[in-house]
Amino acid sequence: MGSLTFEGLGKSYGEVEVVRDVSLTIAEGEFVSLLGPSGCGKTTILRMVAGLVEPSRGRILIGRDDVTTLPPNKRGLGLVFQSYALFPHMTVFENVAFGLRRRKVAGAELDKRVKEALGMVRLGTFGERYPRQLSGGQQQRVAIARALAPHPRVLLFDEPLSNLDAQLRDEMQIELKRLQRNLGITTLFVTHDQGEALSMSDRVGVMAKGVMQQFAAPEDIYHRPATGFVASFIGKPNRLSGSVAMREGAGGRLAVGGVAIPAARIDQPAGAKVDIVIRQEAVAIRSGIPRPGEVAGEVVLRSFSGARVQYVVRLAEGVEIVAETASHGPEAALAIGAPVGLAIDPAAVFAMPPEGAKP
Amino acid sequence: MSDMSENRPGWGLTATAFTVVAFLQLPVIVVVLAAFSTTSYLTIPPQGLTLAWFGKVLSDPTYLSAIRMSLILACGSTLISLVLGVAAAYALFRKVLPGSEAVTSFLMAPLVMPAVVVGVALLQFYSMTGLRGSLIGLLLAHVVITVPYVVRSALASLSGLDLAVEEAARVLGASGFEAFRLVTLPLIAPGLVAGALFSFITSLDNVPVTIFLISASQTTLPVLIFSSVEMGIDPSVAAVSTLLILATGIVLLLAERRFGFHRFV
Amino acid sequence: MMSRRQGLLLIAPLLLVLAGFFLVPVLMLLPTSFGVYEPGTGLIKGAWSLKNYSQIVSDDYYREVIWRTLGLGFSVTLICLLLSYPLAYLIARGPERWRVPLILLVIFPMLLNLVVRSFGWIALLANRGLINNLLMQLGVIGAPVKLLFNFVGLFIGLTHIYLPFMVLMLVAAIRNVPRDVESAAATLGSSRAHVFMAVTLPLSAPGILAGSILVFVLTISALVTPRMLGGPTYQVMATLIYDWPSGSALSFALTFMAVAIIWLSSRLTKRWAGMA
Repeated sequence: MGSLTFEGLGKSYGEVEVVRDVSLTIAEGEFVSLLGPSGCGKTTILRMVAGLVEPSRGRILIGRDDVTTLPPNKRGLGLVFQSYALFPHMTVFENVAFGLRRRKVAGAELDKRVKEALGMVRLGTFGERYPRQLSGGQQQRVAIARALAPHPRVLLFDEPLSNLDAQLRDEMQIELKRLQRNLGITTLFVTHDQGEALSMSDRVGVMAKGVMQQFAAPEDIYHRPATGFVASFIGKPNRLSGSVAMREGAGGRLAVGGVAIPAARIDQPAGAKVDIVIRQEAVAIRSGIPRPGEVAGEVVLRSFSGARVQYVVRLAEGVEIVAETASHGPEAALAIGAPVGLAIDPAAVFAMPPEGAKP
Repeated sequence: MSDMSENRPGWGLTATAFTVVAFLQLPVIVVVLAAFSTTSYLTIPPQGLTLAWFGKVLSDPTYLSAIRMSLILACGSTLISLVLGVAAAYALFRKVLPGSEAVTSFLMAPLVMPAVVVGVALLQFYSMTGLRGSLIGLLLAHVVITVPYVVRSALASLSGLDLAVEEAARVLGASGFEAFRLVTLPLIAPGLVAGALFSFITSLDNVPVTIFLISASQTTLPVLIFSSVEMGIDPSVAAVSTLLILATGIVLLLAERRFGFHRFV
Repeated sequence: MMSRRQGLLLIAPLLLVLAGFFLVPVLMLLPTSFGVYEPGTGLIKGAWSLKNYSQIVSDDYYREVIWRTLGLGFSVTLICLLLSYPLAYLIARGPERWRVPLILLVIFPMLLNLVVRSFGWIALLANRGLINNLLMQLGVIGAPVKLLFNFVGLFIGLTHIYLPFMVLMLVAAIRNVPRDVESAAATLGSSRAHVFMAVTLPLSAPGILAGSILVFVLTISALVTPRMLGGPTYQVMATLIYDWPSGSALSFALTFMAVAIIWLSSRLTKRWAGMA
């Protein structure tokens, strides 16, 4: 068993730096997700941990052991691939037994451990089937069992749920979380789906362009984004262009679309051009004449998505904001063209350097 | 797998296919018939039936040693070609070497160069290096002309491989070689069968290279047949071919019984 | 995960064998292609010339020979392809229990030695051979049709030799086409013919190309040999190898062209496969 530590981890391909100076420690038994858009470096980090990619800089430690230069078969890890990568020419049993056989486990002991692993993913009777006879969800569970059977110190997941349909994905999220809790195994989970990362993890590392933006508990990531990128990546953001109208203490007011919106925290000086990020969930919509403190607007579009309803609201000067409300609430059935007032929570308004500048 | 009738070949296509099969068998049938002929020259249709030629072939020491030599060369060169060829194909597949495409094309050169030229070139070379008439020289010459087939089919087979399975094997504790042996090799084996087959047949059939390199005492079957042309063909030649066809048929049917060969092709 | 050094180690044995037992010997032969041969006298010692190579391009006779060879190679390849595809398709997609028997029937002709094979064709195609006899008995023709020792006979013989190669390679190519893509097209309303034209054919194209190039190159190479030996069969080789310099020059030029073709086609295939 062990913790997982990165010290100044970096990877470059020629001139291109894919991972830059990542340092963090994942405690033993902790479930950590690496979250970010494609190309942010999260998968590269995972593959460096697995030993499939050689780091350009830095070290990787499992527990107290420096594994940076160890080949992948000597690290004692488990890896679940996005494509499952089951061995098509072997039965489910043989797939799961593979890692055990490499550790010279045999006979009754082998049988027992394979059955144990398959039991954990509830596929106990599937031993004699071949991967091609299984559904996607079942294949994935075999992949998990295969990774777990040799009792690895650290468990790695490379976007394992992205090939599953939505409902199965939700079920697997819960199952995986439960499994991880029961086994207490240190887990590194790579995903581009923030819902997944936030709901499953003890801590989340948000990455963009090879740089670790923030490494914190899900609540902190959501409510207290450390950088503009995190603010705009997490939740459902509105992203508008504007400028800093005035500074007051830690925050101030931002000018956008002919209105001034208060923000609790502004890093830029007055007059600076900024991108403004406002979470959809933080915009409360109310039909009628705007009250003091609310922004006036007109409903342009309405879309129903089950539990929530989204409205596209046009402000003065053509700027549009998306607001959300519960679909069984009082504002669930506003008509196109209806005048509305938007109450925007200043704590959920973030000012960032304009797009194109470094995050 | 389920029977998808939309994919089933129609009768027009089936008829065409069987016509082609018939065309392919024409000389085979002629030869097999001739092997049973009672006359000492080949005629069609045979004027009588006899097994005498088979008896002659199987009891003639020259024939037997030629057959033995051909089989040794074919098996040996195919085996060596498989080892060298698969290793090379794997290295090319992993793209760790510069100019992979150029190297691959170069590996095809022995196929392309007219066999006579290869034969004469090796004759000259072997005479200079004292390898003339040696078994190892002959064996390696056959490797040279057969390995391109193996490399081709190995590359084709590897191209369908998902590297993730090898990576999975590595992380699970397999060394590089173990991962290759336990995962990659079984997965590409079906594709290799065709290459090994071409390789075997090319060696077994080869005259233009072999004829220059054999020693006076030891000859191969095709060269023996070839030289006996000068003395006039008798049906023993046809008998040998028939035996070869029979043997191949039996081996492949056994392979089917044992390994489910039809899955491989 | 695989280092350059490991890759080199894997490929080195083959490269060494080919270098030592192919490249070097063949290169040693290269000077001969610059030699001068005089009919009747033989090889003129010490004479050097580029004529053997330049005449490939400039001499009318040579050019015609080359065009005829290329033309024959191309038509043999085309006919092989057209005849092989239906059979390969049947083997790959037809009833499973037909597969092994069909493959056996494809392999048997490959086992025929050149001599025996020639004999078989002579028996079939000669003026008094089986085919002519049959056709005359059926009253289809009045007099025997000349099928041997001319273009027709050569064409039939070459096609027959390389058909099995093409069939086996096409079977592999067709098997690589995923069946579910075909069924998807079928369920979307495509007729069988359309599924074939729009799905199966394009997806098996790389295999078709590879097989065709191989057969083409082999056919050309097979045609050069008799030319160098002054006759349509391999008669007593040692004495009949005449005009070795121009023959070997032709061979070198041919090999170089063929390797270039193979290299070019593999680059093209890579680009097409990327776009597919």
